[in-house]
Amino acid sequence: MKRLIKNSILFLIPLVLFMYLADWFFSNQLKHSRYGEYGVWNDIYNGKADADVAIYGSSRAMVHVDPLIIKDSLRLSAYNFGINGHNFWLQYFRHRELLEHNKKPRVIIHSVDMFTLVKRDDLFQMEQFLPYMLYNKKLQHWIGSYKGFSAYDFNIPLVRYYGQYKTMGKIFKAVVTGNKAASTDRSLGFAAKDLPWTDDLVKARAQFPDYRVKVDSVSVVLFENYLKECRNEGIAIALVYTPEYIEGQDFVKNRAEIMNIFSSLAVKYDIPFFDYSDDSISYKREYFYNASHLNGTGARLFTSKMIHDIKNNESIARLMSSSNEQYMHQASLKSDRSKYLSD
Amino acid sequence: MLFNSIDFAIFFPVVFILYWFVANRNLKIQNLLLLIASYIFYGWWDWRFLSLLLFSTLVDYFVGIMLNKQENPLKRKLLLTLSIVTNLGLLGFFKYYNFFLDNLVESYTFFGGEINARSLNVILPVGISFYTFQTLSYSIDIYRRKLIATTDFVAFATFVTFFPQLVAGPIERATNLLPQFFKKRELDYSQAIDGLRQILWGLFKKIVIADNSAQLANQIFNNSADYGGSTLLLGTFFFAIQIYGDFSGYSDIAIGTARLFGFSLMRNFAFPYFSRDMAEFWRRWHISLSTWFRDYLYIPLGGSKGGLSMKIRNTFIIFLVSGFWHGANWTFIIWGALNAIYFLPLLLSNKNRENLDIVAKGRLFPSLREFSKILLTFSLTLIAWIFFRAATVTEAVSILSTIFSASLFTMPDLPLKVLLVIGLIGVFIITEWLGRENQYAIEKVYVTFPKPVRWAVYYSIVFLIFMFAGQGQTFIYFQF
Repeated sequence: MKRLIKNSILFLIPLVLFMYLADWFFSNQLKHSRYGEYGVWNDIYNGKADADVAIYGSSRAMVHVDPLIIKDSLRLSAYNFGINGHNFWLQYFRHRELLEHNKKPRVIIHSVDMFTLVKRDDLFQMEQFLPYMLYNKKLQHWIGSYKGFSAYDFNIPLVRYYGQYKTMGKIFKAVVTGNKAASTDRSLGFAAKDLPWTDDLVKARAQFPDYRVKVDSVSVVLFENYLKECRNEGIAIALVYTPEYIEGQDFVKNRAEIMNIFSSLAVKYDIPFFDYSDDSISYKREYFYNASHLNGTGARLFTSKMIHDIKNNESIARLMSSSNEQYMHQASLKSDRSKYLSD
Repeated sequence: MLFNSIDFAIFFPVVFILYWFVANRNLKIQNLLLLIASYIFYGWWDWRFLSLLLFSTLVDYFVGIMLNKQENPLKRKLLLTLSIVTNLGLLGFFKYYNFFLDNLVESYTFFGGEINARSLNVILPVGISFYTFQTLSYSIDIYRRKLIATTDFVAFATFVTFFPQLVAGPIERATNLLPQFFKKRELDYSQAIDGLRQILWGLFKKIVIADNSAQLANQIFNNSADYGGSTLLLGTFFFAIQIYGDFSGYSDIAIGTARLFGFSLMRNFAFPYFSRDMAEFWRRWHISLSTWFRDYLYIPLGGSKGGLSMKIRNTFIIFLVSGFWHGANWTFIIWGALNAIYFLPLLLSNKNRENLDIVAKGRLFPSLREFSKILLTFSLTLIAWIFFRAATVTEAVSILSTIFSASLFTMPDLPLKVLLVIGLIGVFIITEWLGRENQYAIEKVYVTFPKPVRWAVYYSIVFLIFMFAGQGQTFIYFQF
């Protein structure tokens, strides 16, 4: 028995060492990735996501609002934190992480949609969390309630990479090609999707002819708390319902009920709510690639329009101008410094 | 609890340590520990069905004791009937109720009648086909006076629920397993290492070979109408590898685990795909079930001793029942019938016991004749697997007709990943071939190597398991 125990331990030691080393290697590679959600998370955790204007929401935020246009027209720094396929639960988690690792934004443009206050069961694109999971209790709290990872994945090295073919394939490709950073498909978090129109709506209608959104009461409470927290922190929020192709607007049968929740919250917390459901953009299919998502052209047009509208909102404009002054001041300092250095 | 889960990776060492270091001085405590562990292992899946397990155990425990005491032949028969009716009744209700009901309704409708019956949403308790057969063998053996009933309830309950083989076999005979619960167990080093090696090989077969093959087989079978003959044939090949890797992998893990607790379980697979005829295949495939049917059904029916018609009848009965045991679907019954048709010519021409030894014993390569026989047997098996895997008989027939069409000679339409899976299957088949004279492929193949090389082989298998794990699949035989 002693021999068995001794040899088992001797056999296991390199295995455990390998588990830690491989875990570190894989996670480290992903922590340098700029691809998809990795890029955004890495910017957040590395404190590189400071922005005066933060855009929150789901994939609709991610593909609808271009921070570069905001930057150019408002002379303010901006970053799009839209998280693909996720509802408010994880949008809020991202907000918390942003505040913890970066300076707080002055203004949040929060793109709300029919699914903001829903909580999905599965952890969509779960691989985005892989590099930060080991022994991370906070992350476990926020994503542990989804189907996808078990407690073992957070507490035993390497286990969570088990069976993650695609992710490991990408890592090896990055290592072999020597391209650690890997290409990015998002610019300041924004992903312009110049895709042709798809028949997603037809498929969705056929599959769910009488689709009704089921609001998650916990998410509603969380959303209200978030609005309160932002008010206490002095962060201005604008709720925005970004354009949605008109023919798809009858897909969710209880749409009015959902819109009413956002309108009521906006009134209750005295925050502006910009609804672009009936905007001229929503009537033109050429600006969309499916009923819920604008293409690159549509997104740029919409961002300019939205900025114009937001600028005209008194409370937001006030905050923006104070940020703008700071921005200009910092910019001039920077310019003076570089002038000084070049002299 | 699945063998290929982290739950088991934690559960197993805990039970192992308690068994050898805490309970090692008392056999009864060791048995009790195994019983508790087995109930936890089973309850992890669904604790509600523990009552069913306990009920089955109690019935056969008391029937066994009463059979022992009873001398009256009629009463003995009645007691045995009680055990058979209870066990097969449970199996029949949970596994076959809806099948019989649906077929009854269809028959009535066919003849213009009308019957008002509703299917029930019955959950099939995992392993019910296995443990009911195991307890049945106990009662039958006592009835036949081959075994004396035990009065030690803990030992008997542990025999019924012994966790390594509870949910998917091997289906143990009481004559082999039960006495082991009364003997002091020793764990020597070579036995433990052998057990661990067999577990490692079983995990490789299941996680790397079966699960990767399953992904391709599922993709092809679930969309069979979209594919041509060559792709469907390849899909059937992947399924053949999947079911072998899955089930024999499970058996290897079960046998290896039992060895680590000082138990010896019967062999369940003996390289069946290297068989030279169907009789040999059935001596090498799911041995514990085949021999169960042989001992408790085929021989009592008269076996192959009677005339021609009796031989044919008994062969069909055993294969049809075997098919039906796998599931309540006509596809399984046809699978059984096909195998009976394959087997009968060998039996009737007295050639069913020609190939008793492993092929090419002592040689590296088979002769051309042996190779062609292996290929033919494997091809026949593939045809039968189509019925086993297809959802309906119509689907199976459609797949078969597409395979035997001109589209068989087109390039298969599959993703590039298929090459990786074929490569892994290649490594697997070569290793199995090299180790075919052993109990399991890597039992002795690498043992003669120096320790560093041997360990490097083990680490490589661990690495392959990690890197090429298929998508988490449960074990196929859990559904039977």
